[in-house]
Amino acid sequence: MVAKGARAPVGAEEVDGVQVEIRGLRKVYPGGVTALQGIDLTIPVGIFGLVGPNGSGKTTLIRIVATLLEPTAGEVFVGGHDVRKNKAAVRELLGYLPEDFGFYPNLTAYEMLDYLALLCRVNARKERQARIEQALHRVNLDQVAGQRVGTFSSGMRRRLGIAQAILNDPAVLVMDEPTSGLDPEERVRLRNLLAELAGQRVVILSTHIVNDIATIGQRLAIIRKGACVFSGTLSELLGPLRGRTWIIDIGEDEVSRLREQYYVTGVFRSATGMQVRVLADEMSHPKGYAAEPTLDDAYVWAQAEPARPASPYDQPGGPSA
Amino acid sequence: MRRPDLARLGALFAWECRIATRGAAFWGLAGACALLALWRASAHGTTAALAAYRACEALLVGLGVLAVFLAGTSAGRDRRTAAEQSVLSKPEGSAPSLALLRFAALWLSLLAIAVIGLAGASLGQLVFAKTPWNLYPYLSALGRIALPVGAAAALGFCLATAFQTPLASAAAAIYWLVVPLSRPHIAMALDLTPSQHWPAAALLMVFLVALTCVLYARAVRDRGPRSRRPAWVAAALLVAFGVSAYRVAVSGEDLLTGPDPILSAIQSESVEADERAPGFWLRDAQNRFVGLDDFAGHPILLVFWGPAVTSSALLLSDLEQVAEEFAPSGLRCIAVCVDRDPAAMRPFAREVGPQVTVLWDRGRHFGQGTYAADSPLAVAYGVTDLPTVYLLDANRHVVGQTFGQLDREWLTSRLPRTAER
Repeated sequence: MVAKGARAPVGAEEVDGVQVEIRGLRKVYPGGVTALQGIDLTIPVGIFGLVGPNGSGKTTLIRIVATLLEPTAGEVFVGGHDVRKNKAAVRELLGYLPEDFGFYPNLTAYEMLDYLALLCRVNARKERQARIEQALHRVNLDQVAGQRVGTFSSGMRRRLGIAQAILNDPAVLVMDEPTSGLDPEERVRLRNLLAELAGQRVVILSTHIVNDIATIGQRLAIIRKGACVFSGTLSELLGPLRGRTWIIDIGEDEVSRLREQYYVTGVFRSATGMQVRVLADEMSHPKGYAAEPTLDDAYVWAQAEPARPASPYDQPGGPSA
Repeated sequence: MRRPDLARLGALFAWECRIATRGAAFWGLAGACALLALWRASAHGTTAALAAYRACEALLVGLGVLAVFLAGTSAGRDRRTAAEQSVLSKPEGSAPSLALLRFAALWLSLLAIAVIGLAGASLGQLVFAKTPWNLYPYLSALGRIALPVGAAAALGFCLATAFQTPLASAAAAIYWLVVPLSRPHIAMALDLTPSQHWPAAALLMVFLVALTCVLYARAVRDRGPRSRRPAWVAAALLVAFGVSAYRVAVSGEDLLTGPDPILSAIQSESVEADERAPGFWLRDAQNRFVGLDDFAGHPILLVFWGPAVTSSALLLSDLEQVAEEFAPSGLRCIAVCVDRDPAAMRPFAREVGPQVTVLWDRGRHFGQGTYAADSPLAVAYGVTDLPTVYLLDANRHVVGQTFGQLDREWLTSRLPRTAER
């Protein structure tokens, strides 16, 4: 039996420096919908954010990594194991939280985890008990272990989802939109939990809420229409925008004219009128002044149609997908 | 290749069973089935075998519908709660084994409802019918229920998996409910009444469960935002259904393929002279349930007849006259029509008038000389050919039995005895 909290991640013991490698990944659904069109990513230990709008292919990518979906072409390796050929070995290393996590509402939290622990090949009852108690403790649900899942709030259900994902102390934790639909307090609590869990693991986190990554992520990829438009660290993402991000204070009626002139990444209301954030190589507007780029600026820029002004990420020397 | 861990499989199966049987829905359904069976077995004088047969008949229809519906909605429930996603991402999670375990648990939970229903029938027989109890017919009834209900559950499971919506299996459940009740010859195809077709039911179940496992694994592997429903599977199923129903409808009689253990049990307990006659509740031409208890305190002339037997029509017209003639002495006449189709009794019921109560019992008659009946009531009375007449006294003991024709002398000589008792 293993003492509480003393175990290193299973995968970390077996595979030195576990990482997830994705090469030329394509997915075309039977209906003809192309969800992913050739994705290449290398995901090292730490929190890795997959950012993109709804329908961009994040869930498809995550489900392929979680061995739940067959890719049409390309390769995915988790800790050196091919997700197509060696599903069982990949699942040993993996913890997965689906987007709409739920379980039979008539089971209690403990019972649900007991069932899933059996599927994680934890046969000995005492060991299962120890693991379940540890997982529930980590997500702060040990007080409601005997309560039925159907009575849980969405935040509690999400935390229970994380508890089932960490039952086997996985080296790779894959989470699909873990913060969506949560109130601000639960969201902060969940971010803290994720930061705590990261340790020596690969934590892949998909979200369409950019700020989730800004607070806890170290690396991220931006997905647009099934293609990866950026992959790198936060500073690599923001670096090319430094010196190109501006704020212009204007009157309300000027906003639409400004949109024609500059690439606008945000419009805010200020005490004196409107404050518009724009991206441009040079600033000719008399009321414009330089600003620090934010993740929102970069995200909006990366998501824009190719008809936009040349992307800083497309330029030689800049980070690329 | 790793050997499957039987202990873990057993534990997972136990969990699936707990999931299937937990909650108010399961116990509500079990209670409803038990009450239904209790009512079917509560007629005075019903023997253990007859009670088991009637409970079995009611449970087969009820559980058949339930099986299709529960199997279908459980597939829908998975999608809604995304439980399968968590299960399938675990090292031991595999789509075929998940489908198989769920089907087995569902089948077992339906059989648990059947056991509770048969316990209700048993209680009805002991408390209301007050006849000797016997385990064998109840076990035999459970055997008759198991395979058709398993096949129904497999059908619901398969439809829900193929179409990825509980609507498909809800439609199948309605089909299951409506068709057997309105079209008895199609009921034979679905084998809801006698389970003589158990090899077919077993094969159908195995085939549908295997197909479900394959479809489920495929659906899980490729389930995307706009995956198309495999419409060809639905079309194939509907064609298969249509063809089998048509073939049965035009093929005439469905001969027994072997001895029916429950009918043998009923026969072994069939009523003898001076014994109390088995009670019943049967439908009349207006679909009202009428039983022997409705004629309490009167001597009864009970006739078993078949619309296909020519001498039956003669006897019925005679019966009408007898009913009028002997009404002042308190005699009441009941004519039980033994046929597959309840509609067969209606023209006769109109002809004989209100003096004779015409009722219907599901059964078949294979012609003079080669008589065999699968009407449980006829078998319980020891009927060997149609028409057969029984005279019961006011306490429902059998006073006499005659075949073919109504002999006035026979009746007049025995009628005073009914008053003496």
